[in-house]
Amino acid sequence: MITVESVTKTYGGFKAVDDVSFVAQPGRVTGFLGPNGAGKTTTMRIMVGLTVPTHGQVRIGGHLYRDIPNPGRHVGVLLDASAQHAGRTGREILTIAAKTMGLPLSRVDEMLDLVALSDAEAKRRLRNYSLGMKQRLGIAQALLGDPSVLILDEPANGLDPAGIRWMRTLLKGYADRGGTVLLSSHLLNEVELIADEMILIGHGRIVAQGDKKSLLAMDTNVSTLVMSLDNQRLAEALQQKGYTVAPEGEGLRVSCTTEEVGRVALEAQVVLTDLRSGAAGLEDLFLELTSDTQRDVIPQGAPA
Amino acid sequence: MSATTAAPAPIDITGTAPVPMSRLASVELRKALDTRAGRWFTFSILALCLVVLTIYALAAPDTDKDFGDFLGIAGAVLGYFLPILIIMLVTSEQSQRNGLVTFTLEPRRSRVVVAKFIAGIALAAGVMVLAAVIAVLGTVLGTATGGTPDWGLEWNLLFNGFVLANVIGVFIGFAIAMLLMNTPGAIVGYFAYSLILPIAVGILSSLSEGFEKVAPWIEFNTAQTPLFTGDYQPTGEEWAQILVSGIIWLVVPLALGIGRLLRTEFK
Repeated sequence: MITVESVTKTYGGFKAVDDVSFVAQPGRVTGFLGPNGAGKTTTMRIMVGLTVPTHGQVRIGGHLYRDIPNPGRHVGVLLDASAQHAGRTGREILTIAAKTMGLPLSRVDEMLDLVALSDAEAKRRLRNYSLGMKQRLGIAQALLGDPSVLILDEPANGLDPAGIRWMRTLLKGYADRGGTVLLSSHLLNEVELIADEMILIGHGRIVAQGDKKSLLAMDTNVSTLVMSLDNQRLAEALQQKGYTVAPEGEGLRVSCTTEEVGRVALEAQVVLTDLRSGAAGLEDLFLELTSDTQRDVIPQGAPA
Repeated sequence: MSATTAAPAPIDITGTAPVPMSRLASVELRKALDTRAGRWFTFSILALCLVVLTIYALAAPDTDKDFGDFLGIAGAVLGYFLPILIIMLVTSEQSQRNGLVTFTLEPRRSRVVVAKFIAGIALAAGVMVLAAVIAVLGTVLGTATGGTPDWGLEWNLLFNGFVLANVIGVFIGFAIAMLLMNTPGAIVGYFAYSLILPIAVGILSSLSEGFEKVAPWIEFNTAQTPLFTGDYQPTGEEWAQILVSGIIWLVVPLALGIGRLLRTEFK
């Protein structure tokens, strides 16, 4: 379990992390989401004692990180897969970590197998690694000490689609066995599929947290997208019931639930060909919540 | 919000032993030698010793081919380059950014500093022993080219001129490395300290008699000269000069450097 207790970090006058509190539970994958520069990495660095917070503290399994003896055996950390001596081979990097933690060298081979780095790749120097290979090596290093807590900063960065799927399965299995997994990302779809719980951060502040369902429930504008064989008649029937109807694409957007649209269509005897919730997806929500921290504004009415 | 669950039991850390210092130090020693830069630099220092001593064996007058002469020259070669080996060991944590891993695996940074000191001294000792062996070879070569060497060794030469001077160099390397935390910067800084500073002080001393008297008190290289020249036995006043200039150029930078390393944010 990771407990972040009102952590604030200021650099000069700039608040990189502003009163952040959340809990990452064991047995769950917690996604830490936010645009670039939102304070994800700083928060994670504070967790492992690399950065000293201005206020607040982080407890991992009830302890401050610096009080955990041989922390590699309890907490697996991947902050930056490139932060390694470029002149060392992959195998040597894992060997150093294994020796520090007091692990047998057979563990290095086990981890290389797990992350699917071949023997030849493990003998290459880090400067010749692709970003995806560095990420695999970083994940191997984080898992080396068989920790019960994993803290991974943008672990999917640079992985190919097969690699991302591989990592999802790996982390899911890890959480199912009772481990605590916290992973950050700036890509929602990367996290959406795997995270049981999501923490959304923007501008150093937490803007929303919860599981996918409760996050979606934050969107209070009920709307439905519908297509039918006779949109004209369906629209009239819906308008008679007092709902707002607007054409959207080849169908209609209606201001009520999918159930209600279904009933109206049944009464009006119109055949529906497509019926789904028109609520903003997580991505829209994510962009809306963090909009004041986005660097790029999506121009309105721009061609798709 | 997620359903509130009972607070899970804290992680049990009572069964985990902290990383012992011996393990940290041996890992640091490994890190000094497991990169091409570290390995080849160490190898090059010894190769340079061999070349210099071979040339000396062939070129020096036969009366100056004692073991002590060879050892003194080997020590001088080491004196220039050992600190750079230490600089690379310390600054790579920041320059190559592997400090991120080092200090997450051992968040008690002062222990890593001590481990690096131990590894640095062990490495220096190893190189010194090998250099002494090369000095033996050089002396044998000197015999072959007509010398009748005195194999006797003065304690002062061995301890002051060879060991102490080089250990001081190692610590200087540490201090500069931790202060600058940048490999090229620290190497340039080290050469400025060891080559340019003494020349500047020498020029000033030749211009001003007053400065000449003050120089050994405030310039560490000048103060150390008695360690590896003459009878390798500094006088009481010379020891005092080593102490005073050592505080200025070694103790203060070392303290500031350790303070910086303990506090700096490894990014």
